[in-house]
Amino acid sequence: MLFDLFFKTRKPVEEDLPQASDGCGSGNCGCKKTPEPTTAEPDGYDMKLGKTMNRRAAFRQMTAGLLAGAGMVQASCSATSTGDKREEGQLKWEEYFKKNYRLMTDEEKSKTVERLERLYEINTGKTINVSTNGAVENVLYGYAFNISKCQGYMDCVNACVKENNQDRSSQMQYIRIHEMENGQLNFDDADDNYFHEVPAEGHFYLGTQCYHCENPPCVKVCPVGATWKEDDGIVVIDYDWCIGCRYCMAACPYDGRRFNWQTPEVPEEEVNHTQHYLGNRLRSKGVMEKCTFCIQRSRNGKNPACVEACPTGARIFGNILDPNSEIRWVLENKKVFRLKEDLGTEPKFWYYMD
Amino acid sequence: MKQLAVLGILAVLIVLGVKCAPGQHDEGGHNGSHHLLEQLKYISVDSLNYEFSRFDQVDKEKLVQIHQLVEGAEQFLIPDRMAEMKSYPCSNCHSKSLEALQAGKAPGEKKSHWDIEIVHAKTVTMQCTTCHDPKNFNLLHSLTGAPIEFNHSYELCGQCHSTQQKDWLGGAHGKQVGGWAPPRVSQTCTGCHNPHKPAFEKRLPARLNTEWLK
Ligand code: SF4
Ligand code: SF4
Repeated sequence: MLFDLFFKTRKPVEEDLPQASDGCGSGNCGCKKTPEPTTAEPDGYDMKLGKTMNRRAAFRQMTAGLLAGAGMVQASCSATSTGDKREEGQLKWEEYFKKNYRLMTDEEKSKTVERLERLYEINTGKTINVSTNGAVENVLYGYAFNISKCQGYMDCVNACVKENNQDRSSQMQYIRIHEMENGQLNFDDADDNYFHEVPAEGHFYLGTQCYHCENPPCVKVCPVGATWKEDDGIVVIDYDWCIGCRYCMAACPYDGRRFNWQTPEVPEEEVNHTQHYLGNRLRSKGVMEKCTFCIQRSRNGKNPACVEACPTGARIFGNILDPNSEIRWVLENKKVFRLKEDLGTEPKFWYYMD
Repeated sequence: MKQLAVLGILAVLIVLGVKCAPGQHDEGGHNGSHHLLEQLKYISVDSLNYEFSRFDQVDKEKLVQIHQLVEGAEQFLIPDRMAEMKSYPCSNCHSKSLEALQAGKAPGEKKSHWDIEIVHAKTVTMQCTTCHDPKNFNLLHSLTGAPIEFNHSYELCGQCHSTQQKDWLGGAHGKQVGGWAPPRVSQTCTGCHNPHKPAFEKRLPARLNTEWLK
């Protein structure tokens, strides 16, 4: 319990910031953009405690670290705890001290994945598969939504929730389908919580979700570098680095982000076990999440779950750098528009009509 | 004096020139609606070698190539509908032509497929035999009577719905099948639309957001 509290609310120290260029106390800290492969990588203990710093900083960190570690140490050292409990404590201890995902070497990535998979196995007896697949070369994902085709069925929403292990108890959803009166595009008067037969007479439907902006304001405001844009244009979050300040949520002009106000609940039998570290792996309380264009699917050539679930073909997805892709044809041949284009956020999510 | 005036004019021209020079307005993505799209025109991607294709998701054997050639796409595949149709070939049941069938019907005897309701254009425009070949039930036919296989019904639909067909061939209409990577695999018209009743039907949405009602 105590451990959980500290695990979720820990504040990364300045040295953890990936952008901080002058915050390095010693050559051993984790703030280098390119990790040195020659020298042995410092483990979590060295990174946090084994570096030179002034006394005050050292005391502050040690107190926090000790308090947080107390629970884990108890679990891992207690003579009475069972083997699994000990192992769990050890794994959690190592997880606690891991780096920001972007600073991890491939080896560190596979280690954290191993730990996450093992922890899940200890807790549920089931196995998950967490991928760390990187961006595919020469790919920039784009999305197009046909507002004359969408009928408001919301099959996409269900598919998304299922695919991405979203909290069932708060009915977290990345996608919202807005029912609007014909001839207007006004979100104030739109209904995104309708329950009558669709399509309703005289209305059209417009879906919103994270637009994976090329120039994402949400990324700029994150104080700890827990959210960023990947090379294939997908804006992702490191759930274990997010401190839950919700700055990004305030900065997003499109209502693209969702916050876990409580520990997400997903019944084990409904958990999607095919996961990605930056995608649909299980989140904890107090962290931000959002659409990732189903990174666990799209990086394997599949369409996001919403595209696959849509019965009307209103959703088109693909590589906008491929001149022969469907999405590119839409962008070049249909009249496309985006929301709040004047902001310069450059969403990679376009709307079009037949 | 004269020299000074010339210098002055030159200075003004230079200042104006700098201010109005094309390309100077661009301030990091704030120049209107098509910045990213503009950029795309100039990005050339030399190699697109994916380790995956849509054949990972769909069985190649259950697809057929369409007759039209689409610019840029080496392949454009659609589901093999004839292999899916349960009672195909139709001649299993209907061995005679429509004329012979109708002649042999006793007065008041039920027609074949009496239960199919056609809600597709007006009856003055369309009837069963506008699409179905009355002489050979295994085939469809075009407005001028050219035979069309069931797999290639898009050729038939495209006679009237030419804008939709253009969008479909391009990629703006029709559901993508099997992912986003090449080759092109799409649903064909009849994969989503019932040809006898092509409009999508009204129904309740897939979910009710009860939590939001509180
Ligand atoms: S839509 Fe919002 S959350 Fe998504 S990238 Fe843009 S600003 Fe960030
Ligand atoms: S809530 Fe958003 S801004 Fe705050 S740490 Fe998490 S990702 Fe960064």
